Amino acid sequence: MTPQHHKDRVIIIGGGIQGCAAAYFLAKRGQTVTLLEKDNIARRASGVNAGGVRRLGRDLAEIPLSLAAMDIWNHLSDEIGDAAMAFHPSFYVKVAIDEAGHIAGMARAEALQQAGFQHEVWLDETEIRKRIPCLARNISAQNMAGGEISGGLVVEGDGWAIPWRIVHGFADAAARNGATITEHCHVESLKRQNNVWQIHTNSGDFEADIVVNCAGAWAAALARQSGEPDLPLTAYAPMLAVTERRPQILNAVMGILGHTLSLKQLDTGQFVIGGGVRADADIHQNEAGLSIPELATSMYRAAQLFPDIAHAKIIRCWSGIEGYMPDNLPVIGRGNQDGLVHGFGFSAHGFQLGPAVGEALADLVMGQQPRNSLAAFSPQRFSA
Amino acid sequence: MNTALHYDLIIIGAGPAGMSAAIYASKNDMTVLVLDDQPAGGGQVYRHVMQNDAAEKKADFLGSDYWSGHKLADEFTRSSASLWPESRVWQITKEREVFFSQKGKAHRAQAGAILIATGAMERPMPITGWTLPGVMTIGAAQTMLKTSHSGVDGALFAGSGPLFYLTIWQYLNAGFDIKAVIDTAPGKMSLLHYFWALPALLQPSMLIKGLKWRSEIRRKTHYISGATAVSISGDSQAEALSFTDASGKQHRLEAEHIFLHQGVVPSINLTMATELEHRWCLRQLCWHPKTDIFGESSVQQIFVAGDGMGIGGAAAAISSGKIAAMRITAKARGTSSLNAVFQMVRQVQKMAIRPFLDYAFKPADEWLVPPDENAIICRCESLTKTDITKAITLGVSGPNQLKSFSRAGMGRCQGRMCGLTIQKMIADHNSQSEDKTGYYRLRPPIRPLTVGELAALADDTPTS
Repeated sequence: MTPQHHKDRVIIIGGGIQGCAAAYFLAKRGQTVTLLEKDNIARRASGVNAGGVRRLGRDLAEIPLSLAAMDIWNHLSDEIGDAAMAFHPSFYVKVAIDEAGHIAGMARAEALQQAGFQHEVWLDETEIRKRIPCLARNISAQNMAGGEISGGLVVEGDGWAIPWRIVHGFADAAARNGATITEHCHVESLKRQNNVWQIHTNSGDFEADIVVNCAGAWAAALARQSGEPDLPLTAYAPMLAVTERRPQILNAVMGILGHTLSLKQLDTGQFVIGGGVRADADIHQNEAGLSIPELATSMYRAAQLFPDIAHAKIIRCWSGIEGYMPDNLPVIGRGNQDGLVHGFGFSAHGFQLGPAVGEALADLVMGQQPRNSLAAFSPQRFSA
Repeated sequence: MNTALHYDLIIIGAGPAGMSAAIYASKNDMTVLVLDDQPAGGGQVYRHVMQNDAAEKKADFLGSDYWSGHKLADEFTRSSASLWPESRVWQITKEREVFFSQKGKAHRAQAGAILIATGAMERPMPITGWTLPGVMTIGAAQTMLKTSHSGVDGALFAGSGPLFYLTIWQYLNAGFDIKAVIDTAPGKMSLLHYFWALPALLQPSMLIKGLKWRSEIRRKTHYISGATAVSISGDSQAEALSFTDASGKQHRLEAEHIFLHQGVVPSINLTMATELEHRWCLRQLCWHPKTDIFGESSVQQIFVAGDGMGIGGAAAAISSGKIAAMRITAKARGTSSLNAVFQMVRQVQKMAIRPFLDYAFKPADEWLVPPDENAIICRCESLTKTDITKAITLGVSGPNQLKSFSRAGMGRCQGRMCGLTIQKMIADHNSQSEDKTGYYRLRPPIRPLTVGELAALADDTPTS
């Protein structure tokens, strides 16, 4: 391919939810923006994650951003049109099945109240059972910890989405607003010369005043390449399984306090089961590992809550490549060099945040003050 | 966690290749575990052969080829190899761990070497109406004959290929009445066919047998050759089959039972999900795992034998299973593999007829991709050719991307029924080779595994 020269104000690297949302908000505000994606839009973690749209269980530092994101989710069709139909709001619940979970849940509810947050509340067993009638009566197990359900933390209006559709929705909306989305464009080098970013890719060279690094599991390598200090990002491949279609019994997204599980039933009747289980990932080979036996515990937990799920056939397991930070908080903020903005390291819980992160990244690019404080997500927090 | 089992050799599939490998390896003091999803050894070709032999009423109508499998199955049963029947292998790792389910529980076993001998499956024949109740494959008809000696009167058979003629011949022998046989093989032989018929003369008995089946079918049934444009109609059940004969005349035959066949292709779900390298075989129009001359795949100590490495038939499968076992044993013992090389010479002779069969029964394009835009392609998600075409024109480079666009191949068959069709549609649309287009990325579990079965592998370590 003949090298082409482009001069754009903003170049976003990475076509996941964060990059596509940032491209959308920037384009909507009239910025000239080009997004470069090395594979396809939503090919990695953003497209294949569990699709949980949850405020529940967020680190206190993340809650304001998560609430801001939810405002956008609730009016998503205003932003991305029909693709917003891929979001299914219901409610999210994490039940306590043992004493440790009960104590942790109650403590969490109290801490939230003290911090002035009302979205996540503790409901007792009767209330939970009213909402989820099919929940097993007795979940005590032969060889695993467990006992009675004593209640749980609930967030009304959380739910799930088909992640691939949502990310494409943002990419398409960005394109409609004038952004250029370039797939199969792999950044080979990123250097700042004379206050301009020189971006060399497999399909031509680009120049930009500002670069937004939304490269997910590849973001730390990209940052290092550009001359930023090392950021402690580790890539893993979180795993999920989906079953065949079964009769509808679950209208909530579920987890268990203190245990590994994320469980939901799609509108097709299929169950999606996962939750924090991850295999190795190789960012150089673009390889996401898959170790099904590691999913056994999640399966066990799912069948504990709904014994009927034990008979469901697993038809597919998959994994995506995600970047994790040591404190499980994302990196959102300006880099050490001028004209560089980071938005990555969401540690497997960035999907719901995406729309708000996109907005915040647009603010940072345009030199405006973001709505919510991003202090906890500073890229510089690791260099102290 | 279940205590892991350990064996020198784990063989997946107790068909001709798997059984012959198990016999050789166990004779040579290797510990061998054989996993098969059927209740007994035999594979598809010798299905139920031990049970049929023990039965009072001998199923002679199945023919001498079928009964020749009894000796092998008997020797396998008496060998020291342990067979775990009704076991569904759903994952193999490159570290040679084998995961499988049996009787509602998942198990883990570790092997020094693995031999994948999962055989072949019928190539789907996605014509209009192929998903209607009452339409089955020839393989299903043959399985019923073998396992319960049952069949139906008044059925139609449409398609071509060695298994097609054999099964119809067996059907006739068993005394069932056949309404018509609609042969889709080209009526005339081309120069290429004559050329490849020369090496086939090394296997005269095979040629004679095939000609005998065909001539008996011609004599005893309403037989139409050179059929094209085959389609099935019916509201909630197959009612009739329409086709155009070699002279261009259109026909419509009514039947409630229709058996289709368009040849067999290697079962690649396990080899693909294990991420072995594959190559596209232009002659057989299917994927073959890449192996060395002994059957060792791109992953060390994982071998492939039998029809799963390329269609060669039962005799060749027995031989290739033995070659793999010889090599595996020699590697384990640190001895020479010369005996495997000698065995290979015999293997070549057993494959002589294959190129001729491949060319003679190569499915025409219309059997690979239906001309009818409303024909179903992906059965699991009920996607028609129009649905798939629409997704392809959005600009996809291969079947994996199409999954996200259309959900094709995401159902419970894991692409077994639509993979080759969709791959060809994309390759044709993009004018690119099959190798470049690629196949679905298959991921474990490649066999149905229930949530409860997998839960049985869970550790007693609650996380916090």
